[in-house]
Amino acid sequence: MTVKVRFFARFRELLGTDIPAEPEDGATLLSLVRDLALKKKEGYDAIFDGHGNFHEFVIVMRNGKRVEHDDVGAVKVADGDEIAVFPPVAGG
Amino acid sequence: MIRVQTEDVDIGALVKAAKEPGTGAVVVFDGIVRDDGITEMELEAYADVAVAEMEKIAKEATAQFRLRHVDIIHRIGRLTVSENILIIVVSASHRPEAYAGSRYIIDEIKKSVPIWKKELTRDGGRWVAGEHGHGAGKH
Repeated sequence: MTVKVRFFARFRELLGTDIPAEPEDGATLLSLVRDLALKKKEGYDAIFDGHGNFHEFVIVMRNGKRVEHDDVGAVKVADGDEIAVFPPVAGG
Repeated sequence: MIRVQTEDVDIGALVKAAKEPGTGAVVVFDGIVRDDGITEMELEAYADVAVAEMEKIAKEATAQFRLRHVDIIHRIGRLTVSENILIIVVSASHRPEAYAGSRYIIDEIKKSVPIWKKELTRDGGRWVAGEHGHGAGKH
């Protein structure tokens, strides 16, 4: 299974973006992003709290649709998914 | 026209195109880079999702305020002070709808469109904090 993880803004600066990943079957959005972010402590701390959950302000999307924090530990990633993780928007 | 792009736009041409038969008012919002002691501003977008979200906002505004025409162009990349960031052109039969529709569109963009700004200074840079803690597709 191959998926792509896209970080934006400050998260991109800390962790890179358009990262191809090959998670194991059964991986969830939470486990996928957590495993990638663990590679750099500053990036991990920007996205996750001390309990390993997304900070309240972090936005997670799967294939362009937002996934609520209550569901990220249950939603399994599928082949070809594009997962996006970013801070609050600030356009306009 | 709903776009995220690096290039600037010809606002005069957009206004001309917005003057469809039956139009009584055209309102232009032009958000520009403010001189806040910065050297440049860098803008980044999740482009596909940003365009889809702006199309949704334009559709909602058109229905709610009976707009006749909507253009939204959000620029990305590096911009200098006084350059255009966001251009919104709306037309309607009457002034109140045009003003209200334009205001609705900019307010919704700030809530939900995945675009970020970084102010670049001589000492480095700082990401502009979003005005809304959530945003981005939360409806």
